[in-house]
Amino acid sequence: MIATKEFDYEPGEHESEKASNSYLMSLVAIIAGLPLPIVNLIATFAFYMGNRNGTYFVRWHCTQALLSQISMLFVNSYGFWWSVSIAFKAEEITNKYIAFILAAIIFNLAEFIATVYTAIQTRKGKHVTWWFYSEITNLICKAEK
Amino acid sequence: MKKPFLQAILIVGSFFLVWFLLNQISWMQLFEVEENGIRTEEKLGELYWKSLQSSEIEVSNKTILNSVDSIIERICETNGLNIDDFKVHILQNSQVNAFALPGGHMIIYTGLITHNENQDAVTGVICHELAHIELNHVMKKLVKEIGLSALLSATSGSGGEVIKEGSKILSSLAFDRSLEKEADIKAIEYLKNANINPEPLANFLYLLAGEETGLLESLEWISTHPVSKERAEYIIAEIDNEQEYSSAISNSTWRALKIEIQELD
Repeated sequence: MIATKEFDYEPGEHESEKASNSYLMSLVAIIAGLPLPIVNLIATFAFYMGNRNGTYFVRWHCTQALLSQISMLFVNSYGFWWSVSIAFKAEEITNKYIAFILAAIIFNLAEFIATVYTAIQTRKGKHVTWWFYSEITNLICKAEK
Repeated sequence: MKKPFLQAILIVGSFFLVWFLLNQISWMQLFEVEENGIRTEEKLGELYWKSLQSSEIEVSNKTILNSVDSIIERICETNGLNIDDFKVHILQNSQVNAFALPGGHMIIYTGLITHNENQDAVTGVICHELAHIELNHVMKKLVKEIGLSALLSATSGSGGEVIKEGSKILSSLAFDRSLEKEADIKAIEYLKNANINPEPLANFLYLLAGEETGLLESLEWISTHPVSKERAEYIIAEIDNEQEYSSAISNSTWRALKIEIQELD
């Protein structure tokens, strides 16, 4: 699911730090944005916008961090609004709801661990690619000619 | 582009697969969700009842209590309902009202009995409230109006205001239009199974419609509960003219019940 690959060039110290920060940004935002899943997406997006003119390595990892946030946003938002309708509306707790929340927790936890690992490796200048997300990132992020 | 597309399907599919597999485990039983819900409801019911008990006068007259019990017994027996699930309280209050509280508590104001000449209409109103209890409308309404978290805080003893607020909501007729209709339909079913004529209930609602202000009737669409006239009409539509009806208690018991209530006032 996660692989360390050769990048086009050896990233500098400053680049590695910025690329690693893009993952840390989503981690910090997860803690702040737990009640509202959109918060961590906005934080990662803001970081992405700030670095979209950065070097290829920085741009590439900012994009991968942003994409990984988008997919969890759907799951978390659905779970969030489902929970709200149980707490404040006439919706009842069902087996399906509990199973969904547990599945969401498993996927969020997996994403959290992967993000921490990627942040650490990227800080060392390693190019960590995520299954599926790296393919999309390659399509979006083109190397400078 | 083909590879990422397949990978996306696999990722989405894996989430649904995990969800499906987790759904095979009975979490509701494991976490005792229903049992905890029942316990919370019972606790809330006790709190609401105690709050009402402290501000209203409960009727303890045996004739009144036994007569109302006979009505409820007839409905429960003919509809396969467990009479022990319902805790009926009669309060001395001139308001024409009856309402359900969480945990199977049902409050009947003496005004409902004094205001009605026909005992079948009172039985119809009781059936309507029993239907609210059986269909779990009470908790649905409370959760919607107050919120689950506030209700849970009330059961832990830190929500005196929540109890007051809940009592106000439950004694008002603020059920959703769909819930009211559902309870009306169920009440007719109960009445028919008990061989009690639903027509007096419809007539009673017509009577209430006459007492409602013209303003409310003209603003029917914003009302949270169906205007009584509209409710009466769909009750009449359900009446089976072929069926032979008999009241829940004898006429002499009904008259004795009314006299006892009048003497209380």
